[in-house]
Amino acid sequence: MRDRGATRALVLGLLALPFGILAPFAIWAGARSWRRIRASGGDLRGASSALAGLVAGLIALATFVAGTIYWLVAS
Amino acid sequence: MIARAVLALAVFLVALFTYPGALLASLATRVTPPPGATAGPAGVPPWLHVAHPSGGMPYIADDQGRLVLLHGATPASLLEFGPSTTPLYPTDPSAYELGHCPANLPAGRYPPLCRDDLSAMAALGFNLVRLPISWSVLEPERGRFNDTFLDRIAQIVDWARALRMYVIVDMHQNAFSHYVGTGESVDLRYNSGAPRWATITDGFPSRVYNKQREINPAVFEATTNFWYDRDGIQDEYIAALAVIAHRFRNESVVVGYGVYNEPWLGWTLPPGFEDLLLFPFYRRVMDAITGVRDGLPCWSGFFMPAVCGYRDLGIHDVRHLMFLDTGLLREVTDFPTHLGMPVSSYPNVVLGLHAYTHIYTPDGLLGQKVPNTSYPWGGYDQGWDWAAREAKAMDAALFIEEFGNDPRDDPLILHNQLLEAERHLAGFAFWTWKENGDAHSWGLFDAPNPPTASSGCIREQRERLLARVYPRVTADPTLTYHYDPSDGRFALKARGRSGDSTTVVYVPPEVTGQISSDGAVRIVVSDETDGSRLVFASPTGGPFVVAVSPGRVTLTSCP
Repeated sequence: MRDRGATRALVLGLLALPFGILAPFAIWAGARSWRRIRASGGDLRGASSALAGLVAGLIALATFVAGTIYWLVAS
Repeated sequence: MIARAVLALAVFLVALFTYPGALLASLATRVTPPPGATAGPAGVPPWLHVAHPSGGMPYIADDQGRLVLLHGATPASLLEFGPSTTPLYPTDPSAYELGHCPANLPAGRYPPLCRDDLSAMAALGFNLVRLPISWSVLEPERGRFNDTFLDRIAQIVDWARALRMYVIVDMHQNAFSHYVGTGESVDLRYNSGAPRWATITDGFPSRVYNKQREINPAVFEATTNFWYDRDGIQDEYIAALAVIAHRFRNESVVVGYGVYNEPWLGWTLPPGFEDLLLFPFYRRVMDAITGVRDGLPCWSGFFMPAVCGYRDLGIHDVRHLMFLDTGLLREVTDFPTHLGMPVSSYPNVVLGLHAYTHIYTPDGLLGQKVPNTSYPWGGYDQGWDWAAREAKAMDAALFIEEFGNDPRDDPLILHNQLLEAERHLAGFAFWTWKENGDAHSWGLFDAPNPPTASSGCIREQRERLLARVYPRVTADPTLTYHYDPSDGRFALKARGRSGDSTTVVYVPPEVTGQISSDGAVRIVVSDETDGSRLVFASPTGGPFVVAVSPGRVTLTSCP
């Protein structure tokens, strides 16, 4: 059975890349889904999607933080 | 395994094409060496560039490295507004030769631009003309450029040269195009920009909401199609800019190019509009015209992601300034709507702000009337200070491309905007030079009377405020100065080392006070033939002051 949160995390992660405000939600959804899948002992699928959503969310957050730091330093 | 690889690739590509890619492309411009500028042909006036003092605010500088302040106005006479499909006034330069000036057409919004207009600008102390032009006139058919129109622009550049003025050639648009179609509340006399073939509305209705010409579904769609390079129309726009840049690549009177006036976001939301579409577009324009290679090599002809650069179009123009407008929402609301990331490794970038506090800011949009408004919350410095921070983050100089208002509000709006320009050492171009209409039109002059005349009298309050004493060039980019238009008093405080280049202060004919100096400076006052005075202040080492005493301000009398 596929974990429902995995697809949600993937969609949020991909959307967070152009819309950075979604990054925390993608990270939260991806991390929760991945933990559930690992804890299920193989009953739940979707680890790749959950991980992809988590990674995309982290990239989006890192971009947002880097952009903000640049702005604060350069301006 | 394949599914994982596909997912990883999807994340990578989406990241590359959105903010992570945009940020990397942007930051990469900070470590890319700027192009070497060879000395251009000797020009009068001298070539300008953007100086980048370490840790300081970039500024427009001359060939001696002195900060240059440009004061000017914007005549809108070369624009093609609707509903007509031809320019209002002749584009053939011969119609303006030997001092001839076509009759004003009251049906249009703006009188023709003639040689006397530039002389009148120079008499007010302006050293700049911001010259808006329409893409629809320049490239009426796809790939066919209007050489006569280029000759007309060159004619105005020649007039400016004779008066030692600079020209910004500004690719202008308002609500994308006057080919968006007619409809409820649509007044195409306020639309200009793209030619018919580049206006792709996809059948969206043309209807204006909330009395704002941009809030029109057809304008949203056509604009969005431009930003996403539908049918290669953005490529055509870049090619049109390249045609202009090629024509004027050795012309120092042309100080630079306004790349795109008041960019509207279309269906895209900020900050993604600016960071992922608008500023990457600017980067591509500079790649194409200057030959710098920012961004990744990409395709063209359809949507180009933010990380994409653009091919070198062979112009290799590295001596002109690029005036970049922020998105229209930022320009008219006083607040940044984007991250303010560096755009290009090309060093001659200027952030062009449109300062319309009270007119398009929240108070104005809520119907509040000056002076009884609850805005700006941080004083007039709010919008300007944000703009200065944006410019510095982008490593760009700051210039106020437009500001203007109903003449009744001059004591509040115009007065304060000019004070901010002084405070931020920013040049400006006042909107607009002349305008048909009534007592509330925004021109520097009263509406024409009789209607076929070029204009009425110069508006007294505007002459008082805009014909100012100001430093045209200075070797001290941290100087402070203040002009009081009520009595003409002026004071400039600066520092200099012995041997520094002179600071030149312009004193218009209207100002009659005595000129003096104090501190480590020698001054020479030159009486000019038009009644103005130029003060040449040579530092001898240390702080100094140049001042004009209070006196009578003699405004032009009207017959």
